[in-house]
Amino acid sequence: MTNLLEMVIEPLEQVFLKFQVFLPNFVAMLIILLTGIFFAWLVKLILQKFLKAVKFDSWSDRMGFTSVMRKGEIWAKPSVALGRAVFWLLVIVTVMISLSSLDYETLNKLIVSFFEYLPRVFTAVLILFTGYVLSGFISRAMLIAMANAGYHYAKLISKAARVLLMLMILAMSMEQLQIAPGIVLAAFSILFGGIVAALSIAFGVGGIDAARRVIEKESTENPKKSNKDNIEHI
Amino acid sequence: MNTVTLRSETRAQIEKINQTDIVVGIPSFNNAKTIAHVVRAVQAGLGKYFPSLRAVIINSDGGSKDGTKEIVESSTGPDFNSILLNHRVEPVSRIAFSYTGIPGKGSAFRSIFEIASSLTARACVVVDADLRSITPEWMEMLIKPVLENGFDFVAPLYSRHKFDGTITNSIVYPLTRTLYGKRIRQPIGGDFGFSGKLAGFFLSKDVWDTEVARFGIDIWMTTTAIANSFKVAQSFLGAKIHDAKDPGLDLSDMLYQVVSALFNLMENYSDTWLPLEGSQAVPTFGFEYAVGLEHIPVTTSRMLENFRDGLFNLGDIWQTILGPGDFGEIQRLGALKNEDFVFGVNLWTRVIFDFAIAFHRRKLPAQQLIKSLTPLYLGKTASFINRARDMTAIEAEAEIEKLCMEFEQNKKYLVMHWENK
Repeated sequence: MTNLLEMVIEPLEQVFLKFQVFLPNFVAMLIILLTGIFFAWLVKLILQKFLKAVKFDSWSDRMGFTSVMRKGEIWAKPSVALGRAVFWLLVIVTVMISLSSLDYETLNKLIVSFFEYLPRVFTAVLILFTGYVLSGFISRAMLIAMANAGYHYAKLISKAARVLLMLMILAMSMEQLQIAPGIVLAAFSILFGGIVAALSIAFGVGGIDAARRVIEKESTENPKKSNKDNIEHI
Repeated sequence: MNTVTLRSETRAQIEKINQTDIVVGIPSFNNAKTIAHVVRAVQAGLGKYFPSLRAVIINSDGGSKDGTKEIVESSTGPDFNSILLNHRVEPVSRIAFSYTGIPGKGSAFRSIFEIASSLTARACVVVDADLRSITPEWMEMLIKPVLENGFDFVAPLYSRHKFDGTITNSIVYPLTRTLYGKRIRQPIGGDFGFSGKLAGFFLSKDVWDTEVARFGIDIWMTTTAIANSFKVAQSFLGAKIHDAKDPGLDLSDMLYQVVSALFNLMENYSDTWLPLEGSQAVPTFGFEYAVGLEHIPVTTSRMLENFRDGLFNLGDIWQTILGPGDFGEIQRLGALKNEDFVFGVNLWTRVIFDFAIAFHRRKLPAQQLIKSLTPLYLGKTASFINRARDMTAIEAEAEIEKLCMEFEQNKKYLVMHWENK
């Protein structure tokens, strides 16, 4: 009878001991989680107020980020959306940190890999953001310079340049995230090379007459259309 | 105030001269073909009109490779017996040196201001080195109002072909007059007279590491003089004929240089121009006469083609700057035939004001914003040329006056949108 009782109590004691070890870790996790969420909320609040003060929404409108957001069905103001994104990023980081307090080996490994991967995500986002701004700036500068030089197809060429630049930037950020880097590199090379080859074929073979007309139009009309004339502008 | 670094021999020359009454500055860069004529005209003018005053001619050179500086140093003076009534009592000193700092006309002027201040000059003149039409009378017209009438700044007034100076006529003159309330007809003329006091004031401004040092010095000088309540006047100098400008500089570059300087000054002097209303004529010296100017053949069809291509390519940018209402008007213009094309003064006024507001609100990078104005400016120029083709010079001037009045009457629009940043 005593043996039977011991057989029942012993596992219960072990469970209780494990629970004794787990409970403080669990409480610590809850504290970290709640504090982290509060901290994330506070950061979101301050960030949104700061972005409002520096007129981030107007800047975002000018840079074309707002229209990109609208295309992606995000209807919040850019400052609000950025605040929310930062909030959820901090919540995810908090969850990961809080889970590590449970001290489980599998979880710990997962968390370590998460934090190792995080810088890559940041770098990829940074590449995308900088690339988007830079490609917009370059294509607009191209557009204005070509339009002033009298190129009728300035808009088309500048848009094509922006698409190519964005493709390159996308490939760079995908490579940074290590998402099938071999496939991304191959896809980019095929796509980029394909576009160039397609243009060459279209101009050189398929649209030889059209190509001749375009080249003739640009080469003969541009001196005529250039801004140099007989009047003194200043 | 940082001083200009001058070579020791230049410093020694200045110390030797010690004091002067008049300083004539000639900024130059590869002007070997014309500078000897300019120096001779200046010397003759000083001898004829100011024989008893001490004078110094300063050539502030930007590192010419064609011997410009050497020509200034070695050029002989005019034959006083053949052109003058009397000989100079005081000799004219000459200093030629290469300026330091950012390459540009502004840096060249800074050195001239510095030397004028060191020599405690009472009056200063700056004239371009590429002038072919300068006469000795220019010295009288630019210096006398300063020495004898107490003016601090004398702007030039030229006889120009009705189709010349279109950036001045359609943007710089109307806008400067509307903003600062003074009717200075050639704010970016380039040949100015000013007092020693104003030279010192120019020098005290901390702008010599900005774009002013490179370009935009002309409008900066004019605006600084008006906005700081110096006594301003203008003098009639006759025709202005000079060597062709740098052929590498295209229209959109020119437009950017001038308009960016104008818009930057609007930022700096907003407290001055925002409350001002209307404009006043400034005292004008000299006897105005008509000058026989060569006929200029101009084809407006290619300007209008540029305008329409601009509308097709830059339409999205223009809509952001002008708003849907005025952009709709521009679209309507784009659909008109060449012979029916009229860019109204009212619309043009709002276009310039909207670009100024967009610059103030940093809607686009400055260079892109202003360069995108080029096709609109060509449309306006073509419209003016078509309208003024059969007009006399006086009638064409009346058209410019109408535009100026439109600018003045619509200033409230600019002020309202400027303040609601």
